[in-house]
Amino acid sequence: MAQTIDKLEQIHIGKKGAAPIAAPGWAGKPADRVTLVDCDVHHNFHDPHQLLPYLPKFYQEHLLDQGLHLPGAGYANTPFRRTRPDIKDPALQERDFNFSLEFTQKELLDRWNIDFALLTGPPVFLAVAGLPDPDWAAALVTAFNDWTIEHWLDRDPRVVNAILVAPNDPALAVKEIQRLAHRKDTVAVMMPMQTPDLFGKRRYHPIWEACAEHDLPVVSHIGGGSPGSTPTPVGFPSYYMENRMTRPSVASAQAASLIVEGVFEKFPNFKVALIEVQQMWAAPLMWHMDADWKAIGDQTPWLKRLPSEYFREHIRIGSQPMHEPPQTEQVYQMLEMLHADETLIFCSDFPHFDWNDPVTVLPKLDERMHRRIFAENALDLLRISDDMIEAVVA
Amino acid sequence: MKRIVVGKVAEIPVGGRKIIVPFRGRAGIGIFNVNGSFYALRNICPHKRGPLCTGEVAGRSSTTAPPSLTDGFVGYEREGEIIRCPWHAWQFDIASGECLVDPDLRVKTYPIIIDGDDIIVDVDVSDFVAKG
Repeated sequence: MAQTIDKLEQIHIGKKGAAPIAAPGWAGKPADRVTLVDCDVHHNFHDPHQLLPYLPKFYQEHLLDQGLHLPGAGYANTPFRRTRPDIKDPALQERDFNFSLEFTQKELLDRWNIDFALLTGPPVFLAVAGLPDPDWAAALVTAFNDWTIEHWLDRDPRVVNAILVAPNDPALAVKEIQRLAHRKDTVAVMMPMQTPDLFGKRRYHPIWEACAEHDLPVVSHIGGGSPGSTPTPVGFPSYYMENRMTRPSVASAQAASLIVEGVFEKFPNFKVALIEVQQMWAAPLMWHMDADWKAIGDQTPWLKRLPSEYFREHIRIGSQPMHEPPQTEQVYQMLEMLHADETLIFCSDFPHFDWNDPVTVLPKLDERMHRRIFAENALDLLRISDDMIEAVVA
Repeated sequence: MKRIVVGKVAEIPVGGRKIIVPFRGRAGIGIFNVNGSFYALRNICPHKRGPLCTGEVAGRSSTTAPPSLTDGFVGYEREGEIIRCPWHAWQFDIASGECLVDPDLRVKTYPIIIDGDDIIVDVDVSDFVAKG
């Protein structure tokens, strides 16, 4: 005699959240301190027209006439036309690109017991960096930041923001930082990583100076660019996979530029996180730069310390997409070579297809390393105050 | 062995699926109708434990050579026979449970019996977790 089971619609994965409690190596109590900070949560608008109320009339007309008119020959990071198919929103009848706070709460914050989620916006929107009209770029990011404040930040203390700035005219980026720096939920500044010029160039120093003034780090996500700014020095790759392989070289070039041009000598409390660019590139970069500093450091005498020391103090690396080397042992070697207890910050990349959940992203770690990567490195980086922490762990 | 009726044949048309939870743990199983044949897979991806059975059922692209003027037409094959995990998009053969991108991986499959209108899954008694 066969037995019958009722159909249940709900899919249950994991227990009550993924839970630091269940995470490999975890020994902490989730209630008494911050245990999980996610530094890459992509929130998104459903339709560009949602930005209209946050634009001046002049730019409303522009949006209605031209659309966002974002440039770029990059690739959407959403193959198969979707984000994670397991989390579509039934009401939208389409794949959900994280259009609402409720969706984030249900599918990310509550399910995985996330204490703080850093909003990083829709990656395609980072193409504002390539807009030829710097005022339109600035109006768009201002509208986007104001929309984010109303629909996301004011409604959940776990949600914190990397305010988006457009690097096209650095003076306008500074103006946007000054406009929003006073907000408690402004904990970082988002700069597209593919900018018209390298991060170390002096044209960008006013942006870094404004960040340093307000103790805000830059979190820079891969993306941006412009029709003239190719992701490799030898042009555009044909395929999406090739395009993904170019990311570490972009990160590496930006990190070297920041260090060698002396940005961290000039702004000693300034920090930059480079996210969604993999990780391992950073180890040979540090080694190679240290070797060169000893040999040819005379050509950049303003660098008073080993380049790797600037890196370890000022640059952070996102954990997604995490390498999956053939041997688990190689993961531990990699973490050691990266000084991961100082440099690595957990990023999920929710809700994209290649996201990393906090439980399976890394093998079992010792408790200290686990805490550094999943919480403390991010808390040291982001401008998160003690009362904000109290509000989420209480 | 224990036989469990998990649904009616008419519930799952060709190309369709039904996910049943809880079943052998919280994640459940997915029942698939591939061109009239029924298959059951565990709803946990052996790569990173994602909810495999909620992924997209599709085929895969195929070609014999890189694109060129005279060769390398890119076709599409096995439509409806392959599921892509919603996390990281790895492909699995629904019928066998084999991972098509990593020969070392396989998702657990369960035997299915069709008895009249009933779809029945054969499981070990120890696999069955009662509802509630």
